[in-house]
This record gives sequence, structure tokens and C-alpha cells, in this order.
Amino acid sequence: MSRFPAYACALAIGLLSASLPLSGAFAHCFVGPRFFPATLVIDDPCVADELSLPTVSWSKTGDVPPASEWDISGELSKRITEDFGISIGETWSQIRQPGGPTLAGFADLETTFQYQLLKDPSHETAMLLGLIVDWGNTGATNAGIGTPYSFLTPTYYFGQGFGQLSDDVGWARPFAITGQIGYQIPTTSYVLSQNLNIPQVLVYAASLQYSMPYLKSEVKDFQLPDFFNHLIPIVEAQLFTPVANNLGNPSITTGTVNPGVIYIGSTYQIGLEAIIPVNSASGSGVGVLGQLHLYLDDMFPKTFGQPLIGATSTPSKAPL
Amino acid sequence: MRTRILVLSLLLATLGTTAAHAHAFLDHASPLVGGTVATAPHELALTFTQNLEAAFSSVEVTDAKGVRVDQGKPQISGNTMRVGLKASGPGRYRVHWHVLSVDTHKTEGNFSFTVGGP
Repeated sequence: MSRFPAYACALAIGLLSASLPLSGAFAHCFVGPRFFPATLVIDDPCVADELSLPTVSWSKTGDVPPASEWDISGELSKRITEDFGISIGETWSQIRQPGGPTLAGFADLETTFQYQLLKDPSHETAMLLGLIVDWGNTGATNAGIGTPYSFLTPTYYFGQGFGQLSDDVGWARPFAITGQIGYQIPTTSYVLSQNLNIPQVLVYAASLQYSMPYLKSEVKDFQLPDFFNHLIPIVEAQLFTPVANNLGNPSITTGTVNPGVIYIGSTYQIGLEAIIPVNSASGSGVGVLGQLHLYLDDMFPKTFGQPLIGATSTPSKAPL
Repeated sequence: MRTRILVLSLLLATLGTTAAHAHAFLDHASPLVGGTVATAPHELALTFTQNLEAAFSSVEVTDAKGVRVDQGKPQISGNTMRVGLKASGPGRYRVHWHVLSVDTHKTEGNFSFTVGGP
């Protein structure tokens, strides 16, 4: 740990190098004229070639007294076919407890398998099915950050743009919602050494977003300064409700509401959100979450940005 | 952890040296998206954020009754697509475009503009 600052510098240099050549346009999860950005808390409704690195958050836990928690994570997503993709994610956490020890280490490795059920351009609708697997014994189990058992979370994702609204309410057409609902199942239901039931948990989340790029290109060009035309104000919310095998544990829904904004660049986006716990069990005070997200399909359109199998070829005719 | 951070840093630095290509997005239009013009324009011009593949990019302009008022095949130069418009009267017109950027990403969109009126 004592040499961490040197590597933090290396990471910062890498980030700086990545950001230098990038300039304005748009990319990535398009469904007809609708662009769904990669949201920070939940997943967008598309399989894609993308890299979230880093995602950094700071918050205070719901403990009494609250501990201070830093999380730094990265996730790489890769399409195997046009409709099937795999993501691999890793999180490093540090938890400082007032008057207690500082816990630090990697959380369990997370992989996600996703299949694109639907992309309906005319209705701006996208649907996705996924299976999230948190692999037990791959994190800092001794620090309590990783777990000795795995979690399987079958998850349904959706995205819906409001572009079909009439011109009378054209101002509302840039709105879109995305969401996901999953059922988290531990591979162990009971930890004997701690006399602890491991509950099955309903994980559900949604985002409401207002796309200034959509407003400019589809509804009305107010000729705002270009910076504003790259912004997508957003509110995300994610909740966890234990629904089974929860005997002995508090039966309470936890989660956060995250208002923020995403700036869309040509091959990247930058997001910044506040983290507001929904109750005292979810956290204390307001935290902050930031993310740099790279669109690999735009950075490497003819190589890494293509599906491994069945890469898209140039269309044989004009679309109209 | 040291190794993981080094690998991530090298990956980021590698990504940073890549030239920026991207989907072609509508940067601006003439007439303006959602705008109102006093007299019927003779031409529609769309400027995108990326250069276009002419063979795979097209635009259609229709009047309030759904009748096409564009003059067919657009002219494409770099990141700009232009199409002539037939003489037409006041009313609301709908533009629907599909383009392919030079890095083979497809995008589409549609918007309205109004001739005459307030």
C-alpha cells in the first residue's frame, strides 16, 4: 500500500492520455434516433463494446457511527455476437471506520452475460436479458469486502424513449427511461460460522433522463452553446429488497437516489452524480459518484469494436 | 494491486492514442430543426459530426400529407448532405435521414420545420 501513490500517478497519466484526442460527436447505444447513455449506477439496455474506467465513488455507510467508503471500479464489456455480450468488472474498496480499522481490498469479480432481446428503432424501445455472476472467493474475503459464496442475479433491462409523443408536447420527447429488475440468489443460503442467513434479494433500478442532444437534433435547435447540447441530466435510483431467506436479518429496503448529469463526447462520456441514501440503513449524508466511460466500438470501429462473431458489414444499399 | 493498476494505466494510455471516429450525428440543419422560415426553402442542408459514406446515406422530406417534396438523391460532400426541395406552400414538413459514417456506423433521425406561420 505504501507505493500506491506512484501507481495512482500512473493511472492519472493514463486517464489524461485517454482524454486528450477526444472531441465532439456521439456514439454507442442507439435505438433509432434515440441514444441511451451508459448510466452510472445501472446498466444501459444494449449489449456493447465499452469500458467504464474508472468509476469512483465516495459515501458514508449506514453504520453507527458511519464509516467512510471509497470505491474505485472498472468494467469491460465486449460483444461476442451482434446480440450477445459479456462484461467483466472489478471494484476496489476502502472503508474507514471511526476509531476502528481501515478495511481495503477487491470485491468479488463480477461477470455479466447479456442478450439483446429487442431494439425497436421506430418506438425507441430496447430490451435486454442478463445474468450477473459475482464470483465468491475472488475478493478480499478476510476484510469482509468479498464473500466466500457467489451470487447469481438474472436481470431484465429495458429502455424507452419518449420520441413518439406528439409535437404538441415536443418538449417532452427528449425524455427517456431505463430500468432493470433482477433477483439475486446466493449460492449459499446459510453461513454456519456467523449463524447468518444469506437472503435472496430483489434488485430494481430505474433512470429518468433528458437528452439535450435529442432536443437539438430531433425537436428544436435553440442554438445553445455547444457544451449544453452534449448534456443529459439524469436521475437514477437503485433499491434492494430482501424477499426470501431473511430470517434474523433486518427486513428493510435499502438503496440510493442519484441525481446528476452525463456529458457525451465523440468516443467517451463523463458522468457525475450525487448519492442520496433513501434511509438511514442505506447510508449517511450525500456521497458522490463519477465515471469516465469509453465507447470502444467508436474508438476501434473495425477491430475491437466489432462483435467477435458476425461482425457488421457495410450495408448493400441505402436505407431509404 | 500494483500489477492491476499498471495494466489499467497502459490500457488507458493505449486508448488515448487512438484517432477519434464515431457515429455521425446531426450537428445542425438548414432550415433549423424545429424552426420556422418565412418562405419555402429551395434546399435542405444537413451537417453531421462525421464524414458520410455517400452511397449509404439518404434523406426524405415530406409535407403534412406525407407527400415527398425532396428532389431525390442528395448531394453529399464530406460531412454535409444537401437535397433540393420542390416548390411548396406553407405548412409543416418532416425530414427523415439515414446516414452511414465513414467508419461504418449507422445513425438516423427525423425532425420538422415549418414554412410560414408565426
